[in-house]
Amino acid sequence: MAAPPRHSAMLSMNSAVATPQPMPGDMSQGPPQSLTPQPSQGLRVPSNRKTIYDRHLNRSRNAELSRASFAYLFAEMVTYAQRRVTGIQDLEKRLNEQGYPLGLRLLDLLFYRTTTTSSSALSSSSTSSSPPNRPLRILTLLHLIHGPLWRLLFGRSADALEHSVSPDTPNEYMITDNDPLVNAYISVPREMNQLNCAAFVAGIIEGVCDGCGFEAKVSAHNQPTEMWPSRTVFLLSFGESVMEREKVLERSGIK
Amino acid sequence: MSSSKASRIGEETRIDKVNAELVTLTYGTIVAQLCQDYDSDYQEVNKQLDKMGYNIGMRLIEDFLAKSGVGRCANFRETADMIAKVGFKIFLNVAPTVTNWTSDNNQFSLIFDENPLADFVELPDDGRAQDELWFSNILCGVLRGALEMVQMQIEAHFVSDILRGDDTTEMRVSLVRYIEDEMPPEEE
Amino acid sequence: MTVYSFYIFDRHAECIYKRRWLPRPASIAGKSGQSATPAISAGGGQTVRATDDDSKLVFGTVFSLRNMVRKLGGDDDNFVAFNTSQYKLHYYETPTNIKFVMLTDTKSPSMRIALQQIYINLYVEYVVKNPLSPVEHPGGVGVNNELFEESLEQFVTRVLS
Repeated sequence: MAAPPRHSAMLSMNSAVATPQPMPGDMSQGPPQSLTPQPSQGLRVPSNRKTIYDRHLNRSRNAELSRASFAYLFAEMVTYAQRRVTGIQDLEKRLNEQGYPLGLRLLDLLFYRTTTTSSSALSSSSTSSSPPNRPLRILTLLHLIHGPLWRLLFGRSADALEHSVSPDTPNEYMITDNDPLVNAYISVPREMNQLNCAAFVAGIIEGVCDGCGFEAKVSAHNQPTEMWPSRTVFLLSFGESVMEREKVLERSGIK
Repeated sequence: MSSSKASRIGEETRIDKVNAELVTLTYGTIVAQLCQDYDSDYQEVNKQLDKMGYNIGMRLIEDFLAKSGVGRCANFRETADMIAKVGFKIFLNVAPTVTNWTSDNNQFSLIFDENPLADFVELPDDGRAQDELWFSNILCGVLRGALEMVQMQIEAHFVSDILRGDDTTEMRVSLVRYIEDEMPPEEE
Repeated sequence: MTVYSFYIFDRHAECIYKRRWLPRPASIAGKSGQSATPAISAGGGQTVRATDDDSKLVFGTVFSLRNMVRKLGGDDDNFVAFNTSQYKLHYYETPTNIKFVMLTDTKSPSMRIALQQIYINLYVEYVVKNPLSPVEHPGGVGVNNELFEESLEQFVTRVLS
């Protein structure tokens, strides 16, 4: 985390790349893989009751699948998105939008798991009413993303977490992944060198932030180094309301 | 090749892994996006999923051959074992049962006990999805694309799905024909 | 050992990648006035037209040889390599009918494993799995990406020679 700031570079990129504002309405359209069960009368269930409600939510917690399978699905997602867009920014916007609902769902899953592990440690049912560790402050949220979210998705923490040192952009934070899984098999052609398909992951982060009540725009930027050619910096810019709330919470000493 | 040997290859082939939930959720967003883009026209969503699968299959077969080191199959029965015990094992960590062969050995069923793509999934309760959407239809396309690359034209479709309230998830696979080697175009 | 050239043909019998390596000046100096890539440069003209014809010639040759080998030796027999007085042609074919061909100097050991490794570690990883590369490669599109070309270059110059 002691890496030198790159805010000047980030600033120029920030103005060049517009991140979309996903519409909350999208969520209510009911993508099929709902994590929060709603009792429904209309759906048929198999007689052996192999439904999502009958299986433990942690069943797949430590399950692993082929990394190639993920790469193929992701590749098709990018290809499909490419067919419907006009340019790189548009493509990144699409990828971001597809990651967004995933972020919202993962947030539920993350909270569910962090609370069940902590309450089982106390082994007392009376503590189950204690609220999940929903972040109230930006830094707690960023640690949630940098640590638990990254570990859930990619099996390790992100590589760096930084705050913009520019007085003009106190609302900007950077999370760095030296070698993003989603870019592992992507060789971006020269004429598209601005493209970073980790925009999908940026969308996931944005979903997590929004789901926690931190309105933010998140974008993915190539910041290659000699050692890490696909090093990616996720730029999180929090909205004004978030920054104002942050000040109030700061004054009242809430962590 | 015996089917137990196929099982062993499936078990022993070493591959890089990722968190299964990342795969499940990513597939979920793909289906959700299609449902949105095609206004819940599930027939069209099935078709698009099959198309995506076809593209994946054509790539995946190369990976499959590279990783498993298996060669050509002697017949369609061996192919079926290879798909179920090596292919699905490597790429989805499941081994569906091969059954219901026709007497000419050209058609069989794959019965899925587990389907990681459908973990966390409940179909939309709109009165249509359970009758029209084959959530895992991408898998049919994957088989079609993969087998075409090894010179087999096949047809695959789901006949039941636990997500639709059926007791099993079953895919029917039929061999259409073997594909001849392509020749270079004639000199003009 | 010297690698002269390398070709990939897809299942549609199209050449989707070709590459030539000219020997380093030092090694060429020792030799007589021999053409560095005897199989290829007819009259030294490196026009696109010429290489195009070369790849067709190479394809026709390996295709016939492979068919002949299977006819004589059975379906499980493989065509592996042939020698001329000038070069050695190495061949590897995947069950998906992708054909890898490499031309080297005559003293080269078998390149079958090397071609298989190019398939497994470079072609599958950087071409097949690249989302921005199309599923099939008419005209070679998608094969000539940076990751693949650089790693192929490294493999040939550092590992093979």
